[in-house]
Amino acid sequence: MTGTEAWLARLRGRALPVRHNARTIAALAGNPGCARRAVLDAAGADKHRLAAYTGFPAPFGLSRFAITRGNAFEAQVKASGAAELLRILREHLSLPIPEASYDDLSEVGGNASPELRHARTRGLLARAVTHPAEAGTMFDHPLLTLRVGGRAAYLEPDLIAFQLGGQFRVIEVKSFPVVDGRADGDKVAAAAIQSAVYVLALRDALAEQGIPPEAVSHETILICPENFSNRPVAASLDVRKQLTVLRRQLSRLARIEDLLAQLPPGLTFDLDPDDAGVPRRRPAELAEALRQVEARYAPECLNTCEMCLFCRDEARGGTAALGREVRDDLGGVEHVATALRLARGTSVPERGSELAEAADLLRTAARLRADALGEAV
Amino acid sequence: MSESAEILEQRIGRLRAAVRQAVLAADKDRASALRRELKQAEQAWEDALAQAETTLPAGLPDSPGTAPSQGPPDGPRTAPASLLPLREQIYQALSLLTVPAAPKLLATVHEAFFASTFPTAKVTSLKRDEERSFRTAPFARPYYVCAALTADLLAPARGLLAVSTWPMERRVIGPLSPRVDFLSAAIQVAAAVERLPSPVPAASRLLWRFAASIPGAAQDAARMDPRQIAQAAEAELQVHQSADSETRRAAAMRARAQLDDAEQLFGTRLGAAAQRVGHMAGRGGQGRGE
Amino acid sequence: MSTLTALARALAAERGAAQRCCAVRHVHVSERPLVFIPLALAGEAGAPLAAMIGDRPQDARLLTVPEPRDRDQRFAFAAEFADIVLEHIGRYLTREETVNAREPRVRFADAPQLLLPNPAGVTFTRLLGRSTRFRRIEGPYAVPENVPLLGRWLTFFAERAEVPPSSLTLPMTQALAMHWATGQSALEDLNLGALLGWIDPPPGLTGAQAAARAEDPVRCPPAGPATDPTFDNEVLEPRLLAVRTARATGGGRAGQRAKDALADALASQLAPIWTLMWRAVELLRALPPGAHVSSRWHADKDAFTWHAGQIRDGGPPQPRRDSAVSAARRLAGLEKTQAEYAAQRAFDDPLVMAEYRMTGEAFAGTVTAAEPDRVDVTGRRKVLRPRVTVETGDAVLAAPGVVLTSPTRPSQQARVVSVAPAGDRTAVLLELRGGMGRALTPEPGSVPEPGEAVCYATFGNGFQRLPDFPAPEDTPWTHGGPPQPYVPSDDDARETWS
Repeated sequence: MTGTEAWLARLRGRALPVRHNARTIAALAGNPGCARRAVLDAAGADKHRLAAYTGFPAPFGLSRFAITRGNAFEAQVKASGAAELLRILREHLSLPIPEASYDDLSEVGGNASPELRHARTRGLLARAVTHPAEAGTMFDHPLLTLRVGGRAAYLEPDLIAFQLGGQFRVIEVKSFPVVDGRADGDKVAAAAIQSAVYVLALRDALAEQGIPPEAVSHETILICPENFSNRPVAASLDVRKQLTVLRRQLSRLARIEDLLAQLPPGLTFDLDPDDAGVPRRRPAELAEALRQVEARYAPECLNTCEMCLFCRDEARGGTAALGREVRDDLGGVEHVATALRLARGTSVPERGSELAEAADLLRTAARLRADALGEAV
Repeated sequence: MSESAEILEQRIGRLRAAVRQAVLAADKDRASALRRELKQAEQAWEDALAQAETTLPAGLPDSPGTAPSQGPPDGPRTAPASLLPLREQIYQALSLLTVPAAPKLLATVHEAFFASTFPTAKVTSLKRDEERSFRTAPFARPYYVCAALTADLLAPARGLLAVSTWPMERRVIGPLSPRVDFLSAAIQVAAAVERLPSPVPAASRLLWRFAASIPGAAQDAARMDPRQIAQAAEAELQVHQSADSETRRAAAMRARAQLDDAEQLFGTRLGAAAQRVGHMAGRGGQGRGE
Repeated sequence: MSTLTALARALAAERGAAQRCCAVRHVHVSERPLVFIPLALAGEAGAPLAAMIGDRPQDARLLTVPEPRDRDQRFAFAAEFADIVLEHIGRYLTREETVNAREPRVRFADAPQLLLPNPAGVTFTRLLGRSTRFRRIEGPYAVPENVPLLGRWLTFFAERAEVPPSSLTLPMTQALAMHWATGQSALEDLNLGALLGWIDPPPGLTGAQAAARAEDPVRCPPAGPATDPTFDNEVLEPRLLAVRTARATGGGRAGQRAKDALADALASQLAPIWTLMWRAVELLRALPPGAHVSSRWHADKDAFTWHAGQIRDGGPPQPRRDSAVSAARRLAGLEKTQAEYAAQRAFDDPLVMAEYRMTGEAFAGTVTAAEPDRVDVTGRRKVLRPRVTVETGDAVLAAPGVVLTSPTRPSQQARVVSVAPAGDRTAVLLELRGGMGRALTPEPGSVPEPGEAVCYATFGNGFQRLPDFPAPEDTPWTHGGPPQPYVPSDDDARETWS
């Protein structure tokens, strides 16, 4: 184990490392400046558990109805050798009729071990490129890996198709609907970045066998139900931008040593479980340990990170908690109390200093508000 | 409502809220413990209500078991359960399709052509029972519901059922086989629809599920011609048939040579097959040895 | 967003309670608005699970769908919902008023108003309208008679929600957040309970504490349409299962009990939101209305009248997508109404006007000199052109020649003659025109007097013509050619709702 890996393991403590998946990797692209998240993710810490243990459980949850609906739609698209998907690929991408073969990579000879599945996936994909005449067309439940922060994460795209202009295409099946040609923008954006993660992983897997990245198209396919029915419809997603962002984020994570170097030695997020597995670490102590790594809270964290409530509580009194735009509108001043002192004129910064411009802005605003309301700010 | 049932109801409400709070706090152990308590309370409530109902004087219009359900009929008409055992129903459906198929498709086929359906959840245990029954007394029964085998490793293909009396070639699955079998099944279903004395909505819906994914088979669900569908399926079948048959023939040969009777029906797990497949390169004539 | 609103948020955070960011109310609040709180089944496209509807706090109607995946039950829900909505709308189809003495026309004297908890509720309404308005009432996929009509009205309401000056359809989080700044972020303001916690905290709690309480989904259910996942998994799923089981085993009392239990569970998620909605209505009603609120409501009444006419005349339901011409027209129309709306809000509300004073697009000050009787003799005729000098401490962006308007004398134009420093303030010389009567001496009060506090803005609320668009049948081929006339098809009627 390298020094960095040892360090990360010590940070994580005795808990098993949490596996990354496409969604968590995609979320990394969301808040690049947050060291706390970067360190926790690199260490494979269970953010959900840590947040709950400090008294700030994550407000996320999945309704079983949504899961069931998602699974049912995916099963329908993939039934009978992915008959419905085949129809879509033929209509949408002019897949030639002879290309209809289907390989199920969810198990290898009844054995579902990730190592076996990953090996078989790599083998089949490589052979598809080197022996195009014997290549398959659709690979269901392929298992890929991606190195994230020094650890390999297993990733399982819904399906990969081949022989579409000699390229592989990542296919994602989602159960949010496309109504009259339009779908929920946020959900499409999330699907796009997840697909980009798979594209990266697939390119990496092929690169190990000397196959160039162009073998994987930067256009992925999104399959959704159409209008209010279960009939699947396809859309192409160009994920070049997402690929750029992801690559940048992942390379930052790879330089995790820089972040770790700033942490106090001996820092750990271990919960100190006893023989029965009951944690003994005092929650307040764990919270203090977490605070040693700087966070960059923004309200957007509430939708993407399990630590959000912990960090929000810590960020109270700061203008970032009110939103990035609000902070900008307050002249970039970091604390609410400071902004108000500047606005009231009780704090007067030196002329030419950073805060001077903000002070002018805030004082004018305070005067105008007082004028309009007839009461002082 | 009796007093105890009402108290139980309040307790159930509190327990439900507590379970939710435990889930929100990511406290799995507490959530499980509370769920167990909740289950007991719910059972007690059901019992208390049943008790109260049996003490109602007979002749009241809402005594249990007498009145039909109030209000407008709700929900789709679910097909009644069949009198045949599960294995017979599956055999009927498989025999109609003549190709290996997934339990969900078989249930739909049965509903469409045999007027009753079965819960697919029971199918996993059926497969296990059939294998056990065979191993105890091989070939004692006229047929067994068995697995289809993957062509490369001769392992049971996930989610597929087949009939033991079918030739080995029909019971192995190569990469093109799912498509080939889909097209063959379409032809069978089209023929079965033609034989129906009068239209059955479930059968038409099933036929459309096939036709919609076969080029040139049908314009839309309202205008389906079973013969045209069969022709279109046949046309595409021609494209894949020889490659698929080649794969299946080679795989069947290997299976007969290397597997025992039980394994030929129910497949073998990775480990055993890998040794025997050994050095085979390419796939069936194009096998995929690792 | 602006510094003033940001400052208000900072103040709210410091004081522990929301701060006003508007001095008056900029939305119309009906006497009897129709409150609609929908709940949707997770994972489905706008599949209704339950709803609470009513136009008075004491008149809540609860609708539930015991088998939410069943198509027939969904349409039965839609039919029941349609009865309520159409009856409510029907009350507004009886009274008319005549407007515009010069070119009299008739419109309905009042219009219905639909209140949803949040923007997601509007999206749900739009989806529900879309999934019902193309249905047929006869044939193999027939739906109950009033369902397609409901769809058209819901689509109408959803579309009006996208017109900023309209108050016909209001998501309450948006209406409240327009008038109050909380000490949390705009994202958190989307939670109706948290938002009201800041605006109207229970005694003894700070805004932040009340908001935190509201974020606990067990104590305060989310305002929908999404339900809380723990509710779905721990409460809803078993109850739906019980209904299904009871039906499969013959129904009877067990079936009714199961349905009642389901209804109770759903009511438990809706009733608290119902209370919040009516509290929000009260809070908004308590604000004095801005001067232009009623004229904007007149425009809403016009839109309502037009749409009711379309339906009465047997026109087709709204098409799935805008044609090129109507899309361009709609966009240009939106830009125009946006600008007008912003100007009106500033004129009605000194707090809103203050934002323009920050940027220099408006200024406020005191009149230091006035020539009310000044006459301009340079032209062919003598015209009255008074001049006033205003001193202000605000920034002044307007250059000489720019025409300004004052909220207190909206029909008067004030042209900037000169802008000059006056100590650490600015003196602006203005020449006035109009709004003073027809004589060569101004009517009393029509010219600002020395010592008067005045405000001038670089924008007015004058009428602007929409750019000329070709008639739909002349759509240029570059934009897809003339749109095909819409003919409801079999596909629309048959479109599955699964």
